[in-house]
Amino acid sequence: MTIAENLFENLRLELRRGCLTLAVLAQLRQEHYGYTLRKALAEHGLEIDESTLYPLLRRLETQGLLASEWREEDKRNKRFYRLSDDGLAIFGQLLKEWQEINASIDKIL
Amino acid sequence: MELLDRYLQAVRKRLPWNRQDDIVAELKVNLESQLEEKEAALGRPLTPLEAESWLRQLGSPAQMAARYMPQRYLIGPKLFPTYVYALKVVFFWALVTYSVVCAVQLATGVLANASDVALALLRAPVIVMNLAAWVTLAFAIVEFAKRSSTARKLGMVPPTPDWQPATLPPLEMELATGKKRRSYAHAVAEVVFGFLFLIWFLLVPEFPYLMFGPGAWYLSASPYQLAAVWMVAYWWLVGLNAMGLIWNIVQLMRGEWQNQGLTHHVVFKTAGLVPVLVLAMARERVLVVLRHPAIDQMRYGGSLDAINQGLHKALMILTALIVLQLLWDLGVKGLELLRSGQTPSVGPRSKNVRG
Repeated sequence: MTIAENLFENLRLELRRGCLTLAVLAQLRQEHYGYTLRKALAEHGLEIDESTLYPLLRRLETQGLLASEWREEDKRNKRFYRLSDDGLAIFGQLLKEWQEINASIDKIL
Repeated sequence: MELLDRYLQAVRKRLPWNRQDDIVAELKVNLESQLEEKEAALGRPLTPLEAESWLRQLGSPAQMAARYMPQRYLIGPKLFPTYVYALKVVFFWALVTYSVVCAVQLATGVLANASDVALALLRAPVIVMNLAAWVTLAFAIVEFAKRSSTARKLGMVPPTPDWQPATLPPLEMELATGKKRRSYAHAVAEVVFGFLFLIWFLLVPEFPYLMFGPGAWYLSASPYQLAAVWMVAYWWLVGLNAMGLIWNIVQLMRGEWQNQGLTHHVVFKTAGLVPVLVLAMARERVLVVLRHPAIDQMRYGGSLDAINQGLHKALMILTALIVLQLLWDLGVKGLELLRSGQTPSVGPRSKNVRG
């Protein structure tokens, strides 16, 4: 990887980091377990690595933005996540912030 | 799949013990679901090569486990600038102190030969590394305490200093006269070299060769020696240098190193006249005496008078020069004050900045 490619990759990851959190919160307005959440995001064009998504779910849950429960489905125990009440409130604020940033960037461009 | 189980086992070993079961159970079900779907799409189990390729995409077990851990720092980004600053200060003063100790040891003969000096030089990096380790340990403890919930509950977290913009040092700008103010480095250098000079100067009476070099031997062998009045002047000079050093240290500590001001200048120039006047006004103008008057008076008495007369004249000229220089400096400083009083602003214009 050249220096320019490396720089682009770092900046891309930095740019994506916040957006991924927003996308995960948005998608978890409906209940999902890890794998179906990943698939749902991919169907909307947002591919996320397993090693990024699954730990992110844990972190958001620790921060109180997600609620989770172990439940059996298709003869397998799975951990289902959904947005908590606090998460919903924060999601609304983040979404507003994101829309404002997006509008500003559009104006600048 | 055995390879997946081995992968999960490797991840498990890198996770904190109290979260291992939960995390690995969740990861296992997610990855198995993904594997089933892949195999369903292919209509067959993954070959060993395909399985390896898939697991490689997930990242190494260490990478996967690390993502589940909170971001860990020995010294976090908030504390890091202070840490670097502390390291610089400690390094600087450690080297200065060590240099002074070595200089004194060299002068007093403790460091007697080249191998002693070489050993002393080689010891310097070890001392610096030791200090760096202690500073790092201290900051790591503070960082740990900041993030430890127990320490937070016990109120052991050091408070974040209440930063005040008013405490910022003044701008290092050009004076109205075009003369640059003293920089911090300049002020620190004055303290360090002032200290070293004082040590050297205090050693001179005991070890005259530090000042006169090989000439010290000729002086001791000559029939003449300096009169007692020189010691009075010498102690005046020691006092003056000590006073200057203390003044500079106090200025540094108070953050007022940029401009020494007129008072400093007048006080030190005037005080600098005292040792010269002490010598110039020596009783009966006796500055040099015979080492053995009873023996040498006949032979060297005439030249002794000539030496004393010559030295006295030189001291009077020196006094006059210092007085003239003092008056000149006073005039220049007065002019500077007058100009700065007439200039509305000498700093760059500030802009409104919003965060």
